[in-house]
Amino acid sequence: MANGYDVIVIGASADGLVAATALAKAGKRVLVVDSATAIGGESRAFEFAPGFVAAPFALDAGWVPPVVARGIGVAPPPSVAPEFSVTVATNDGFLALPVDASRAATAIKPHSTRDAARWPAFVSQLRKLSGFLEVLYQTPAPDVDAVSFSDLSALLGVGGALRGMGREDMTELLRALPMSVQDFLDDHLESTSLKAAVGAGGVRDLRQGARSGGTTFNLLHYIVGAPAGSVRARSRWKGGWGAFGTVLFDAARAAGVTIKLGRGVARILVRDDAVTGVLMDDAEEIFARDVVSTLDPSHTMLRLVDPVWLDPEFIRAVRNIRYRGCTALVLYAVDKLPEVPGLDSVVSLTPTLTDLERAYDAAKYRQLSQTPHVELTAPSLRWGGMAPEGKHVVVARVSYDGREASPEPRALNPDDDVTARAASVIARHLPSFENSVLARAVLTPHDIEARFGLTGGTPTHGEVALDQILFMRPVAGSSRYAMPIDGLYLGGPGAHPGPGVTGAAGWLAARALIRNKRKA
Amino acid sequence: MSTSRYDAIVIGGGHNGLITAAYLARAGRKTVVLEKRPVLGGAAVTEQIFPGFKFSVFSYVVSLLRPEIIRDLDLPSHGLQILPLESTVTPLDNGDYLAGWADPDETRHELERHSPRDAEAAVQFGRLMHHMAMAVKPILAMVPPDPASLAPSDLKGLLKFAGHFRSLGAERFHALHKLMTMSSADYLDEWYEFDPLKATKSASGIIGTFLGPRSPGSAYVLLHHYMGEIDGAFRAWGFQKGGTGAISESIASAARALGAEVRTDAGVAHVIVRDGRAVGVALANGNELHAPIVVSSLDPRRTFVDLVDKKELPDELLSEVSRYRFRGSSGKVNLALSGLPSFTCMPGVGPHLRGAISISPSLEYLERAYDDAKYGEFSRNPYMDIVIPSMIDPGMAPPGKHVMSIFVQYAPYNLNGGWTDAKREAFGDAVVNTLERYAPNIKSLILHRQVLTPADIERITGLSEGNIFAGELALQQLFFLRPSSRWAKYRTPIRGYWQCGSGTHPGGGIMGASGRLAALEIVKAT
Repeated sequence: MANGYDVIVIGASADGLVAATALAKAGKRVLVVDSATAIGGESRAFEFAPGFVAAPFALDAGWVPPVVARGIGVAPPPSVAPEFSVTVATNDGFLALPVDASRAATAIKPHSTRDAARWPAFVSQLRKLSGFLEVLYQTPAPDVDAVSFSDLSALLGVGGALRGMGREDMTELLRALPMSVQDFLDDHLESTSLKAAVGAGGVRDLRQGARSGGTTFNLLHYIVGAPAGSVRARSRWKGGWGAFGTVLFDAARAAGVTIKLGRGVARILVRDDAVTGVLMDDAEEIFARDVVSTLDPSHTMLRLVDPVWLDPEFIRAVRNIRYRGCTALVLYAVDKLPEVPGLDSVVSLTPTLTDLERAYDAAKYRQLSQTPHVELTAPSLRWGGMAPEGKHVVVARVSYDGREASPEPRALNPDDDVTARAASVIARHLPSFENSVLARAVLTPHDIEARFGLTGGTPTHGEVALDQILFMRPVAGSSRYAMPIDGLYLGGPGAHPGPGVTGAAGWLAARALIRNKRKA
Repeated sequence: MSTSRYDAIVIGGGHNGLITAAYLARAGRKTVVLEKRPVLGGAAVTEQIFPGFKFSVFSYVVSLLRPEIIRDLDLPSHGLQILPLESTVTPLDNGDYLAGWADPDETRHELERHSPRDAEAAVQFGRLMHHMAMAVKPILAMVPPDPASLAPSDLKGLLKFAGHFRSLGAERFHALHKLMTMSSADYLDEWYEFDPLKATKSASGIIGTFLGPRSPGSAYVLLHHYMGEIDGAFRAWGFQKGGTGAISESIASAARALGAEVRTDAGVAHVIVRDGRAVGVALANGNELHAPIVVSSLDPRRTFVDLVDKKELPDELLSEVSRYRFRGSSGKVNLALSGLPSFTCMPGVGPHLRGAISISPSLEYLERAYDDAKYGEFSRNPYMDIVIPSMIDPGMAPPGKHVMSIFVQYAPYNLNGGWTDAKREAFGDAVVNTLERYAPNIKSLILHRQVLTPADIERITGLSEGNIFAGELALQQLFFLRPSSRWAKYRTPIRGYWQCGSGTHPGGGIMGASGRLAALEIVKAT
């Protein structure tokens, strides 16, 4: 077999490159394939207007767990902590929250002296709660049927970390996880603006509102690894949105991994319940005993695998994974940035959690919010090379676009209502913004699905909800990376620990593969 | 000032208070129950609010009452008699209906009419719910261990708890996890396709909570309502003959037979605490009663904020109680009728009037009802669970006449501008107008209308914010967090002062498990 490998990794995302490097270091001959012509998976950049580049899914660099970097022997590139963790529009301006807790307290004071006094303790408790998730996210998810010694020791380790938090924080964690972010913040803070600033993180990439249960968990999930004091933004790579990808690419190449870009997989080949390789888009068959897919679970299991090899119950479970992308993106090329502190982090234009809730209501009825929740980030403030000299890129995340869930196919219109509704929200808080726009592009969840191959038009690979995480991710009974076909592994954000934990699923999937081979 | 001595005083004559008293008396403790109202039962009372018509004013059906309590207290010989509630009919907006009947074959045929796939799924779903209810059952009978504690008894409890989950096997554990964390709409979406069916089933997931069917956490309440068991039969709901007040009377009768004293018109002003120890209670009339054990069956806010002095309690507990959520979301409309309503979908008199009528035509209908409440208004088109007890128990109304009980959601306790008499009547009108769409003759039959808002429920029964479960049945307020992380085992920081109401584990519904577990703990400890 001239064109054979030990393992084929589908997707040159961070997870894919981490998995490939780990496997190559374990002596496997590894091939990485990706239909895109660049590495990075969905976080890759593209030109959306002449001379203007955006990488909308790379705005949050996520968190690289130490176990991943150590595991494949790379040092993550230098990163910078953001100055502001989030900025929120108020009735008469903006409230920008510095990551530095004492500076944040000063900023909060005009809104609430009580909250200003509580802030340092509040962020430190948030840090402890998300800190527990950090422990949980570096090991396979403990499950109730833990049998092996390593399973049990992982379980005990997690249990120990939980009890090690101390009574107060542990109780707060258990209490907070199922709560709505509204209730959680009502318990801790009083300022409407402050709650709106923090709470918007709870509904990120979720078709839920601030009053829906489980949104506190979502908030904590996305601040795992954030610098102490931040309630939203995490550190960013100093060298550009793709800096870590470049490091991983080099590490993979150095470990002997073959990387083929611009070549997509049409089918995962299976014979007698075991993987035999992949069929490429161009009809080439490449053989391998094992395949690690970093694509989302539905893409991997329902589109690439012939269903005859799968149990109907498993198919049903995968079909039931909720994706429900409801965030559209509007990419703006502008000749001048609005003067708002924290525009390089996240600026939320939703002044209250009630406004956020009202925006969500539309999604319940599969509509686009009349007054959507809009968050702005200007990546060109962080990194060069995104826009011509003196010009900038602004990315608007517009929620909720609930239309994607509609069972009826809908006409795709690039000049969708999204643009107009986002514009009216922006105009309310930043009246001169519209005049600065040179060009714009819209990506509805529908477009995101088409462009990035992301089921449901969301980068989550499955909503981060309490019933879709840990041992329930991607589906109950298959949370240990090995899918129910011999030699097929899922190593993307659709597996534990989910989106935003860069490289973790890839690393854990590679480890599971290596361990299973050793056993066999 | 007269004083009397007892071994134990139970504050509140609701079903949990009475059950605690009965068990304490059974263990030989000289016990007295003090009820502030002239009628026993708390939210489980039968009253003639209109001459000749008897109403289960608040709680109106029963299913959750623990069989061991029925056995231990021999309640049937004290008058407990549950008449089965046989069907649920959901009128649809197109004039059709969706019905669930007592006979499973009939139900299956009915479902097949709407969706053969759902008829198939319903069989499996029923089986799974049965298993889930069985999986949760032992937890209902367990004193919650404290996960942060290092005490041997807690560690033992935690191991028992973990062992229980392991014994379920992965598949059932995962299924249970989904049920605990999902929204009822999402959960039902995985099973069913016929929207009115999903709506009607998910309706039981929103009862008594301030959640919509699409909010995670609502699926658990669905299970809670599936857990009903009458004489060991899962999932059956029924009426008590004579109304739910007769359940309370039967427990009171059992308690008296075991030697407990039960007093009505005996409101408690506060618990007397000396040197950090409860020694009795001061009645509203100025009298004092003394006992080394004082048990409150009232909700956590009444128990800790109203009945005792703040200075007797640690700050953490007070702050946890202040964060414990009540926010009543439901109201009740009781109608005295001159005859039977005729539903457009099933005109005239028929077996459907002996069961429940559910106004839940679609998930969107329920969500929109919730949206009104989220922003501080009562639902213009509310979810309603309607029963006509006089169809099953003719003694509830004069011959030929009827009583109708309508459970209504959502009616927020914190209504914009507050509840007033005018708002109460407007709420009543919304209910009757909505009902009229499905039963056009209803208005012509109404002899008397009683409308109860959450504010009324609070005023009359004492349930804070009118929450029918003495605190929301949300995951963060269950098990070792009900009502407070440190004080979830029926104890309080005040020695001799105990809690036994629905605000403690497992809480909710006419279940009685809290009252029983509390009594067993008290007997063990004292």
